[in-house]
Amino acid sequence: MNALGFLRSRLWLVTLSALIALFVVNWILQPNLVTPNVLKSNLSVFLPVILVAIGQTYVVLGGDIDLSVGSIVALVNVVTVSVIAALGGGVGGVLGGIAAGLVVGVACGLLNGALVALLRFQAIVTTFATGIIFGGLALLVLPTAGLPVPAEYWRTYGSSPLGLPVVLWVLLAALLIVALIAGRPFIKHLAAAGGLRTAAFQTGLKLAQIRILAYALCGLFAAFASLSLTGETASGDPLMGRTLALASISAVVLGGTALAGGSGSAFGSVLGALVLGMIGNVIFFAGLPFDYQTLIQGLITLLALAGGVLVARRN
Amino acid sequence: MTPVLEATGITKRFGAVVALSNGTLSVGKGEVHALLGANGSGKSTLCKIIAGTVARDSGSLRLDGGDVSLKSPREAEARGIALFYQELSLVPQLSVADNIFLGHERTGAGGFLDSKQLRADTEALIARFASVAGSGFTADAPVSRLTPDQRQLVEILKVLAHKPRLIIFDEATAALDRRQVELFFTILRELKAEGVSTIFISHRMDEIFEISDRITVMRNGATVAAFATSETDRDSVVRSMIGDVAIRDRVERTVPASTGAPRLQLTGASNRRVRNVSLALKPGEILGLGGLQGQGQSALLQGLFGALPFTAGSIEIDGKPVRIHKPAEAIRHGLAYVSGDRGRDAALHGRSIFENIASATMVREKLALVWPRNLKPRFEAAAASLNTKYDGMEAPIGSLSGGNQQKIFIARWLATDAPVLLLDDPTKGIDLGAKADFFALVRELADKGTSIIFYASEDAELLSLCDRILVFNSGAISAELSGTTLDSFHLTNAAYGEVA
Repeated sequence: MNALGFLRSRLWLVTLSALIALFVVNWILQPNLVTPNVLKSNLSVFLPVILVAIGQTYVVLGGDIDLSVGSIVALVNVVTVSVIAALGGGVGGVLGGIAAGLVVGVACGLLNGALVALLRFQAIVTTFATGIIFGGLALLVLPTAGLPVPAEYWRTYGSSPLGLPVVLWVLLAALLIVALIAGRPFIKHLAAAGGLRTAAFQTGLKLAQIRILAYALCGLFAAFASLSLTGETASGDPLMGRTLALASISAVVLGGTALAGGSGSAFGSVLGALVLGMIGNVIFFAGLPFDYQTLIQGLITLLALAGGVLVARRN
Repeated sequence: MTPVLEATGITKRFGAVVALSNGTLSVGKGEVHALLGANGSGKSTLCKIIAGTVARDSGSLRLDGGDVSLKSPREAEARGIALFYQELSLVPQLSVADNIFLGHERTGAGGFLDSKQLRADTEALIARFASVAGSGFTADAPVSRLTPDQRQLVEILKVLAHKPRLIIFDEATAALDRRQVELFFTILRELKAEGVSTIFISHRMDEIFEISDRITVMRNGATVAAFATSETDRDSVVRSMIGDVAIRDRVERTVPASTGAPRLQLTGASNRRVRNVSLALKPGEILGLGGLQGQGQSALLQGLFGALPFTAGSIEIDGKPVRIHKPAEAIRHGLAYVSGDRGRDAALHGRSIFENIASATMVREKLALVWPRNLKPRFEAAAASLNTKYDGMEAPIGSLSGGNQQKIFIARWLATDAPVLLLDDPTKGIDLGAKADFFALVRELADKGTSIIFYASEDAELLSLCDRILVFNSGAISAELSGTTLDSFHLTNAAYGEVA
């Protein structure tokens, strides 16, 4: 096998190299990068995209897409803060709010999955529409930003149990879930469903169930992202997470997952999300206007897509 | 000894159509059983019933002497019956091992994937066929990197992984060349030695006589004969396939005498589905394309029409070489194409009859603007000459019956005065009355000098209409029938690969 072929099956290696290069550039521009506090605040900023991108990976791997993740993040946020407020705060209220948020996230995913896999609506249009619906619901639940969460919530999120910050624990927990999912037959079935749906069907796989589960996982990870963001902002915001849908898809593509489905990994998407975050850092510390970040993010996604198409043509 | 599988008197109707009136088949242990029959004789339906993908209406199905009802492919699979698919069930992105055990992953503690076990099981399977696997055939190789025959082997291994007792191979060798067929037969013999029974459907008589132990013949939805291969010969098998039909059942017509070059001459044409086809078509001739379904007849017509362009060979029209790479070029050269799949290939859905007819005229005459007033009389005359029943040129195409729609799509070409008409199984889904009209029309057009190439999946249509028939097998012409050989015996015999 030649070098190109080797890289072709390990696209995440390219992403990893890019990440290391960006990290070095960032370090040069920002000499205090490698200090616990700066690393922690960086991770706090990157974490929501990482979590949403992990969830998005499963949907994309199965040959679908979820454009509604940003609105799911907003809806989970407003439901969580509202339930906490309704329960009167306190530890019990916070736990109740988190549980409600997770349920809402999974429910949104199940709805998307049912529309796409059972009613056979087109994924891209369906989730675009449900995204609008979820966003509308978020505004209905909490019309304006505000409604702070109790101190127990954001203090815990900012703390460092066992010497490591909570944001790192969340990332480790997410990676553990990724590893658990990667070790189960489900991931093979999902890749088959996204790879060649007719073949997966002929083989007798339960396609609808597989695709719905992928959307539910996506909703769950969007809820995780929302809860992390809530720990950061400490209040409700019905317009939260607007950029997350496109950022997560960029991260998934950068992480080596084929947008057509069938190949890729959530681990790669984590690298992709980190690359996106580091690009933002580099732009900031290089003194460029922040607006350039979305421009460059778009260009890089386009490049990654073009690379994927070129690879596919060579095959 | 009890047969592994015993199907008796199985029937199946699809709506008003009787697909199977008496499916009877008995397969012994370790036997290679060939199932033969013309298009629509019911062999595929019988196989689907045995594999659990279609439910039977009545009749008995016994496995090892016990009655079974197979309600799903999974149930059939659990009983040891496997249906072999043609390259349809592999996911190119997944590895050989993942494909073979897709849906039956090897799992260890806690339901987690056991990649060691998966690799061991896959390598054990591959080892059995090491001699034919070829290079790069490893458990980890993605299927997308394998050659077509290696993919075929993965399909077979995927079937074998479930340790079936009976495998149904439906035209498994259709896409294979001679060397690959040999390889496939090696595998079949290996399976036979292990006591696995196989039902083998093939369109090549020499293959059937080479590999099978017994032969069952079906005709018009019923089992009509069963032979031990060693005790019979081709003629008996072919005769039982065609039955006691009248050997000659056609109305003679004389092809208008032609002078000079043929209207259409094709030399050494090949595309994805046909190879090295040469033919010459005279003005006013009706040339039939025969053989079993999917042997390249449609691909030849689509090649001529530029929809599936030829990659090799040359086309001459009225003695002049032409290049046809897309349908617009074919139309400008005077070719017309009528497909049996109207919904997919012909209809402009939701548009008016006028627009549906005008499309070809616009391309042929390079019209940028269309004045309906000028074209309407022409179109109405074309439609009227076919006895088309319609409310008016503005009515949507969907308001017509299948037969009348097909007439509109012919009128589309009549309006262009195309001298060559390509008919691709045009009577699919048309009722008998409309068919008779249609055939009368085709003859009339030919009498007026239009050259026609006609592919039909029903042999009777070919035999009653054509002056000459080219029989296709595996993308090439295997025989040419005309004059005294233009009968169903020769047609069936040629379809199964023996040159008459």
